[in-house]
Amino acid sequence: MAPVKKGVNPRQRQYEAMVRALSADLYRYAYWLSRSEATAQDLVQETFLRAWKNLDSLRDAESAKPWLFTILRREHARLYERKRFETVELDDTVAEDAPFASPERSGDAAQVRDAILRLPEKYRDPLAMQVLGGMTGDEIAERTGQQPGAVMTQLFRARQRLKDLLGGRAVAEGGRK
Amino acid sequence: MNCLDFRRRIGAEPRSRDPELLAHRDACRDGCGAFWQRAQRFEDDIEAAMAVPVPDGLADRILLAQATSERRSQVVRRRGWLAMAASLIIAFMGAGMYWRHADLNSLPALAVAHMPGELDALDLTRPMTDAQVDAGFEGRGARLKGPAPAGVTYVHDCWVGPYRAVHLVTRMNDEPVVALYMPGTMTAGDSDFHRDGWDGREMALSGGTLVVLAQGASRRTMDAVARGWRDAIEGQQAPSVGRI
Repeated sequence: MAPVKKGVNPRQRQYEAMVRALSADLYRYAYWLSRSEATAQDLVQETFLRAWKNLDSLRDAESAKPWLFTILRREHARLYERKRFETVELDDTVAEDAPFASPERSGDAAQVRDAILRLPEKYRDPLAMQVLGGMTGDEIAERTGQQPGAVMTQLFRARQRLKDLLGGRAVAEGGRK
Repeated sequence: MNCLDFRRRIGAEPRSRDPELLAHRDACRDGCGAFWQRAQRFEDDIEAAMAVPVPDGLADRILLAQATSERRSQVVRRRGWLAMAASLIIAFMGAGMYWRHADLNSLPALAVAHMPGELDALDLTRPMTDAQVDAGFEGRGARLKGPAPAGVTYVHDCWVGPYRAVHLVTRMNDEPVVALYMPGTMTAGDSDFHRDGWDGREMALSGGTLVVLAQGASRRTMDAVARGWRDAIEGQQAPSVGRI
């Protein structure tokens, strides 16, 4: 990556650092929300453009990630509202494209990914916020406007459903050697 | 904390470092430690699965989009400023042209513009009769309500711009003072002016407007002539304002 250059204003430097530090996790969160590589890239682009326009409202570095996740979540909801009347849903349980059709798509990880893709959004979203965003149940509740107890239930059920989807695989119970 | 609570919490937040959870894990003899270990391994699998490959150059594309957007915004902002500046210039020019047009069509401007064709009248010294003065006013549909000031040396029907006027010259203390009375032409109020070498006063009378002009005459003489014509036109007792 190109180093930060002298003469760039602090706002731009902060933005560039934020993009480089958080774009990967944000893309992954977008992917698990949208289940589409192309949509995920669009969402990340749009999220960072919005973040740039509202960068002054970001008070501290620690809150950057949850802040971006919240923006992206809203963007996704907006996109969903726009697309709802334009698209025909073929199969809610299958991803639009297959980002893992590469050599690394093999073994346990691929099966777990398939299982995660099959999770309903109400479980997949908080799970991704927790795993990728590093948020606690309370933080997720605050960001999504839900009761903390409801979020904890969703997180618990997300994992239970994953185990169910993974069937009797040893990995589902953490039974690997 | 009992085992059920522990397993529910771990089932929702396997990475929690809550001391109460960790204490139960370490103290429990009913398999919660093993449960915690399995939960950690399952969480490792979830984390690994969720770490999908990120497209090459994603961060650079994001920065490029931001730079492009910012540049476009700057261009739009600059165009906005230019448009605003152009609007202001046009507004100032319009206001200037309007002011100049209004100024050129003001009574003082029209009165002064009328004078070059009448300069010879300033040299006349023979007094006019009251009948000649009255006739001059009647020619413009006006009638004097009081005696005309003494020392009137010139009476003529004129056009001051678009306005019909009685052009008068009154000589007082050997100083000619011009009075232009425009019956039916109304102005807002009295004002003094200096324009193109002429000292003047615009006076609103009940039936029209009187403009008094002089070149180099004393203020006292102008005041006396103006007062004399106002009294004559509006009907008050006119004092004797001078003599030839």
